[in-house]
Amino acid sequence: MIPDRVRELLHGPAYMQVGTRDADLRPAHTFAVAAMVHDDRQTVTVFVPAARAARPLADLAHNGRLALGIAFASHEAYQLKGTYISSRPTEAADVARQEAYRAALLADTLRAGFPDELARPLTQGFAWSPGVAITFRAEEIFQQTPGPGAGTPMAPGG
Amino acid sequence: MGMLPDEIKAAMQGVIPSHVVTCARDGTPNASAISQVYYVDPDHVALSHQFFNKTKRNLAENPRAMVWLISPETFDTWDLELEFDHSETSGPVFDAMDMQIEAIASMVGMKGIFKLRSADIFRVVSVTKTVGERIPLREIPGVR
Repeated sequence: MIPDRVRELLHGPAYMQVGTRDADLRPAHTFAVAAMVHDDRQTVTVFVPAARAARPLADLAHNGRLALGIAFASHEAYQLKGTYISSRPTEAADVARQEAYRAALLADTLRAGFPDELARPLTQGFAWSPGVAITFRAEEIFQQTPGPGAGTPMAPGG
Repeated sequence: MGMLPDEIKAAMQGVIPSHVVTCARDGTPNASAISQVYYVDPDHVALSHQFFNKTKRNLAENPRAMVWLISPETFDTWDLELEFDHSETSGPVFDAMDMQIEAIASMVGMKGIFKLRSADIFRVVSVTKTVGERIPLREIPGVR
């Protein structure tokens, strides 16, 4: 079960990175623009730009292994690891969620002290539509905020 | 001519965190932010190792890594495919990274938490400027 705080970050202004790997264990990185946690608190859908989706989708079709790193501008961070379920093109409701996410990401990055001339192009410059919605089942969750506790598995609901 | 173009150096100043994906021997990927990617020479970079973490353990099992970088000047992004070579705990690269980590830590309020344990040296296997990930700056509202 995804803890409340991690769910809040996934729905809020967190920077998100999708990690996958191919048959030769070569890793790949894809920047995600918004995510949503489903009602079962274990299934997550993450949105990536269609232009960058070919590699993660090929990797996921091959082996289904996915990591999702999530971090606030404040450096609070977590990581989910899980198994691929499905993918589809983003729909109007997804795009609305992404637009809200983008606005929140800019506001939070400014609040963290980044100047507008850095925060605006950084946060608003990520391509997001057309996009691909990738759904996976989160099986492990880790604390990843920089410090000695980074990498600690999180208790369910903690 | 080396792998790394000059224009990528701006993305290695630590202004915007980079990201690294590694993979364990059992096939589980790991995605993490990284404070510093340091330009060593046209064919090598160093990543800051600050904590005994999963990235470090994965590299001991599987030397491959993918690093994502963004320039704070042009906002272009790159994928760097890397292969771990060795770690350094002293010497000019370590000293330069240690100083830069201190500066980054002060800048982001992480003084006393960010502490360089080693400079991990990687061979650059490929460099790809990403296509389709970024919107041109001129098309972003409010950006001059």
